[in-house]
Amino acid sequence: MAQLLMIREQVKSFYSRYEGFCRPVLKFLLAFVTLTMINRSIGYAAVLTNIAIVLVLALLCSFFPNNFVVVIGVLVSLLHLYAVSLETVVAAGILFLLMFLLYFRFAAKDTILLVMTPLCFILKIPYVVPLCAGLVGTPASVISTGCGVVTYYLLQYISVNRNTLETLESEPIFVLEKFRMLIDALMKNREMQVLIVAFAITILVVYLIRRMPVDHAWTIAMITGMLVDIVVILVGDLKYETRIAIPALILGSLAALAVGLVLQFFVFNVDYTRTEKVQFEDDEYYYYVKAVPKNTVSLADRKVKKIKGQERSGGAAGSGSTGGGRAKRSSAEVKDVQEYRVRRTATRDRGAGNISSSSRNKNSTKRIIMPEDSVGRSERLTDIERAAAAKARAERNKKT
Amino acid sequence: MLNESRVKLMTRMAAFEAGEGKKSMAIGTYFRSDYIAKEIIKSIIYGTVAFGLILGVYLVYDFEVFMENMYEIDWLAFGKTLLFRYLTAIGTYSLITYIVYVVRYSRARRNLQIYYNNLRRLRAMYRKEAAAENKMEE
Repeated sequence: MAQLLMIREQVKSFYSRYEGFCRPVLKFLLAFVTLTMINRSIGYAAVLTNIAIVLVLALLCSFFPNNFVVVIGVLVSLLHLYAVSLETVVAAGILFLLMFLLYFRFAAKDTILLVMTPLCFILKIPYVVPLCAGLVGTPASVISTGCGVVTYYLLQYISVNRNTLETLESEPIFVLEKFRMLIDALMKNREMQVLIVAFAITILVVYLIRRMPVDHAWTIAMITGMLVDIVVILVGDLKYETRIAIPALILGSLAALAVGLVLQFFVFNVDYTRTEKVQFEDDEYYYYVKAVPKNTVSLADRKVKKIKGQERSGGAAGSGSTGGGRAKRSSAEVKDVQEYRVRRTATRDRGAGNISSSSRNKNSTKRIIMPEDSVGRSERLTDIERAAAAKARAERNKKT
Repeated sequence: MLNESRVKLMTRMAAFEAGEGKKSMAIGTYFRSDYIAKEIIKSIIYGTVAFGLILGVYLVYDFEVFMENMYEIDWLAFGKTLLFRYLTAIGTYSLITYIVYVVRYSRARRNLQIYYNNLRRLRAMYRKEAAAENKMEE
């Protein structure tokens, strides 16, 4: 666990330091994976399947806002569908237009779910979507996820029935027939409808539970969400005979839980605060400020000194003597104790008025050294520290 | 002379201006009623286009049935039904728009209020500094 926490700290630190590079790279990867998956599923336009074009488009996406990935994904899909028939393009185009007109103008941030949902379906992990949307999204994600599910099933239908859609002639009667087929594919697809309802309920359940003020709310939300998802899909399957594969459902839900746990680890209670670079001016100066978020020291940088067992001394504090009951220790032990005193002082008395000087050691941990006189008097020191300080002082006096 | 707390405050304000503040400031230029009315008008336009598309798809889907019964259809009743559905759809959509944008407007105003408070603090810092300098000169 400590190792994982360390990795998280390092990821957080790396992200906040190189945020300017990380975001374009992540956007590039998302766009590349999306376009590759689209090409694999409905890659009917040979020109667009060329890797060079995919790379160029992905590169473009990395420089534009997040939603540009969605725009490019939709355009590439429509161009592929044009290779099948004009009717499919019109049907899919109307569907996308309705989504953008009615919903995505309200929730531009959620648009990414329109890409992620079909992507997860293609990667055989569709049940990840409602869990993750419930964990990091809002109740409005229900609509985005629903749009994503509809998009996937439309594209899948076109992919499966490509030959039929291509071979029907272009007479008006066949054009109407093609339209009817595509609309029926959406309106009469019970499996799709069951999944939309199940995902919607799961998102709401996960969202409501993860916001509850209870311990482990995220974990409880994920497990409950997974179970609700399975139950709703099973009930829908029984009622409408959708023939959803039960083993795939259970395995997929477990995979979703695993992904949710990873997400919880990297998102819950972690602030990936960005490094801000701002410019402003007043009457006297121009300011070019780079505000770097504070990070806690990662575990690898910490140095733990073990202190060997020693007897407590009752009258040692501030007296300058080592006390009668204490055993004599080697100089190495004394050194250890002194080191301990310095470090503990730095931790306990940070910001207190009795700090005289500070310096940074090679591990870049701050070492604050107290003035000699205040060590013995300070009430905040433990007996061991007082004794160690007194002994160190006595030795120094002896030498001088 | 550089004042550390003033630079911190200015940095925070500049970060807000460059990020979330852009949207909040754009919203802040409107009165509440104007902003919401603008968004509702947009919604009515988008909703009308969407309704038209859905109606078109419906007509194309049932084109043959529609053509067969063309002379038997009571057009007045059909028109009334259509109008009623259009008004219901647009009304619902406008209501949702109203709720969403009322929340957004109040959130933006709250953010701007914080920003303006920071501006006041900044002005007070400058005044204090100027007063101190005057005192020194005297």
